[in-house]
Amino acid sequence: MRRPAPSTVRWLILVALLVFWELFPRTGIIPELFLPSLSKTIAVLIKDWREYTSELAVTLYEVAFAMLIACGFGILAGALVGGIALLRNLLLPVFSSLYAVPIVILYPIFTAWFGIGSESKIIFAGVYGFFPVMLSTAAGIRTIDPQLLLAARSMGATLPQQITRVIIPASIPTVLTGLRLGGALTIIGVVVAEMLTSAAGIGYLVTRYRTILDSPHVFGAIVMILLLSIAFDTLARAIERRTMVWQIAGRRQKEGEQADIAVKPATAVV
Amino acid sequence: MANLSVVLNAPADAAIEVAGLGHIYAGGDSAVPALTDIAMTVGTGQFVVIVGPSGCGKTSLLMMMAGLRHQTSGTIHIQGRPIDAPDPDRVGVVFQEASLFPWLSALDNIEFPLALRRAPREERAARANDMLNLVGLQGFGARYPHELSGGMKQRVSIARGLVQDPPVLLMDEPFAALDEQTRMTMGHELLRIWSQTAKTVVFVTHSLTEAVYLADEVLVMSARPGRIIDRIAINLPRPRTYEMMATDVFGRLRDRIWQQIRKEG
Amino acid sequence: MTRFQLIAIRLLLLALVLTAWDVLPRNNVINPLLLPPFGDVLKVLVEILGRAQVQEAILVTAAEVIVAFVIAVPLGAAIGVLIAEYDYAGQIFKPLLFYVFSVPKSIFLPMFILIMGIGFQQKVAYAAFSTLFVVIMSATAAVESVKADHVLVARSYGATRMQILTRVYVPSMMPILLETLRISMIFNFTGVMIAEMYASRTGIGHLIANWGENFQLPQLFAGVILLAAVAIAFNETVRYLEHRVSAWRT
Repeated sequence: MRRPAPSTVRWLILVALLVFWELFPRTGIIPELFLPSLSKTIAVLIKDWREYTSELAVTLYEVAFAMLIACGFGILAGALVGGIALLRNLLLPVFSSLYAVPIVILYPIFTAWFGIGSESKIIFAGVYGFFPVMLSTAAGIRTIDPQLLLAARSMGATLPQQITRVIIPASIPTVLTGLRLGGALTIIGVVVAEMLTSAAGIGYLVTRYRTILDSPHVFGAIVMILLLSIAFDTLARAIERRTMVWQIAGRRQKEGEQADIAVKPATAVV
Repeated sequence: MANLSVVLNAPADAAIEVAGLGHIYAGGDSAVPALTDIAMTVGTGQFVVIVGPSGCGKTSLLMMMAGLRHQTSGTIHIQGRPIDAPDPDRVGVVFQEASLFPWLSALDNIEFPLALRRAPREERAARANDMLNLVGLQGFGARYPHELSGGMKQRVSIARGLVQDPPVLLMDEPFAALDEQTRMTMGHELLRIWSQTAKTVVFVTHSLTEAVYLADEVLVMSARPGRIIDRIAINLPRPRTYEMMATDVFGRLRDRIWQQIRKEG
Repeated sequence: MTRFQLIAIRLLLLALVLTAWDVLPRNNVINPLLLPPFGDVLKVLVEILGRAQVQEAILVTAAEVIVAFVIAVPLGAAIGVLIAEYDYAGQIFKPLLFYVFSVPKSIFLPMFILIMGIGFQQKVAYAAFSTLFVVIMSATAAVESVKADHVLVARSYGATRMQILTRVYVPSMMPILLETLRISMIFNFTGVMIAEMYASRTGIGHLIANWGENFQLPQLFAGVILLAAVAIAFNETVRYLEHRVSAWRT
């Protein structure tokens, strides 16, 4: 029998998971407390959709601003530190050492400073996403082919022209990867912050319903978060693919995977 | 045979004059002399090839002629004026790596120098198309670099170097990254383009066969610090043909170059 | 710039930052209630390290980190190797893994709590769970990084599978393996911290969350510095080892 295509197998696995999610709780293999059935979870989502959407709105609002901070500063700092040799040698090892510290331990400091409202979440998630974006942009900047600049100079390009017509277009793939990474991490940061100390947001719902042992509502919130991050990831990848046309296919794959797995500090020789 | 008449009727000024050129790399703790005593004259419409062992400085010399690097002593004049910054009106450069911008199509890549000058759109497109046809890539203008073979990319690179119609074309081992068969085809194509455009060409290469096949004159450089140790006039008739490569004359010329380079070890 | 110059400049910058941290709050330029002077924080740090409650918390956290690590790494490595070795499995699971990676794993924390309560096991289970995927992906990358050419050469000389494993794969993968350990520990530590801060009665994370809730900022900062120091120390040690082992890497 010929093997089915991998994507088919993937879909089958997903469908199987959904089926198990429905059957196992119903038949008592898994207690409803641990895992409410899929249908119950969806029913709850539909019934209380108003509550879910208004909290989701809060979360989205926080994610948007946090992304601005993380991606904006991250890409800028990454470009500067990665591009300027002095800064790179001086600061890059420092930043990649700081990356080892679990940023989440800073969250209580932010709540002490900014309260439990959206500000603390935005700043926390902004910092959370900043480091990986910065490190991956710094690494990516260095993969730009210096020969391109030489060619441009030989054609008489002025410095502003070199920046706008060569460096910026050549950096776009790197920047997009950084944005995708930063976006995913700011979502994670916001959700974690909302779960820890908050009065609003989807993460807050998770905690609230957990403490009263209302599993269906907890899982409803979990589903919303899953959908949010998958939606973002899919959108980001779609945008990346459309602008992919000019990247050498082999190299881009590696870049994407490297940035996803581990933010490689620039000590990896490039 | 247009080229021959251009040479015969050309004014006596040289297209390129290098005098007393030397270059010292100030690197780390020591100063390393890279080039010494380089003097050469290239007549208008000539095809000159520079060969030499690795590290002899031939690429550096070319970069200096292109205005991309400054020499520490000596002068370079192109069409009677010194060159100290890239001047695409006088000098076109073709690199070993085609260095095409991956986000632009072949045609847009060729147009790029004109876009830098903000030339009007129709003029840019017309010129670029002419160059595209000249290098034999008609119909491929809309392709992107990742869709082109190595040889095709170099053709685009050559077209880009010619698009502003500079009288001088500098080429730094442009065919080194290609396989042998493509190299031979490209060499032949280059000679055709040269004969149709009457440019002055300075061509750097490692390949002795290529040098003899293409050149009017071959300059042999020594190992670092690079000096010119031999100038060999190649009097083979033009247009050059593949069959010439099998002749005794060809073999002797190539051997002469090889002996010089061997001595440099 | 020589290495010494770079290190000197960095130390200088650090000294500058710490001095500002001390001077500005002391002179009320910054509200000392929000940012205790660095000197005070250091004093508090020394003091809390002497407290039994804190020492216990440190031990608990350390135990959780180590146990979770010991579970996640071998398991994740095994799975990662399988995915790398069996192309078909790889094609199926790799895209799934990428999606999983971008999902906040902390959302499953309530599940762990519902099932296991808020004790030691739950924290270890959650931390192992959140670390697992990074280990899998890194292990896959590590195996795939071994050049097929090298394996071919070894095989052509008649090397057995075991020999290929030990003489080609292991040395080839060593730098990446060390990096995997380093990155996995970062995720592991983060996972333990999140679990302790979220719902726990023990551990340093819990203490920090508590200090934060009670606005005991000097203690909070002291705790953060302690954790940061430990995390960085571990990170740099492994980085140093990576460096020693990867001299041949281009």
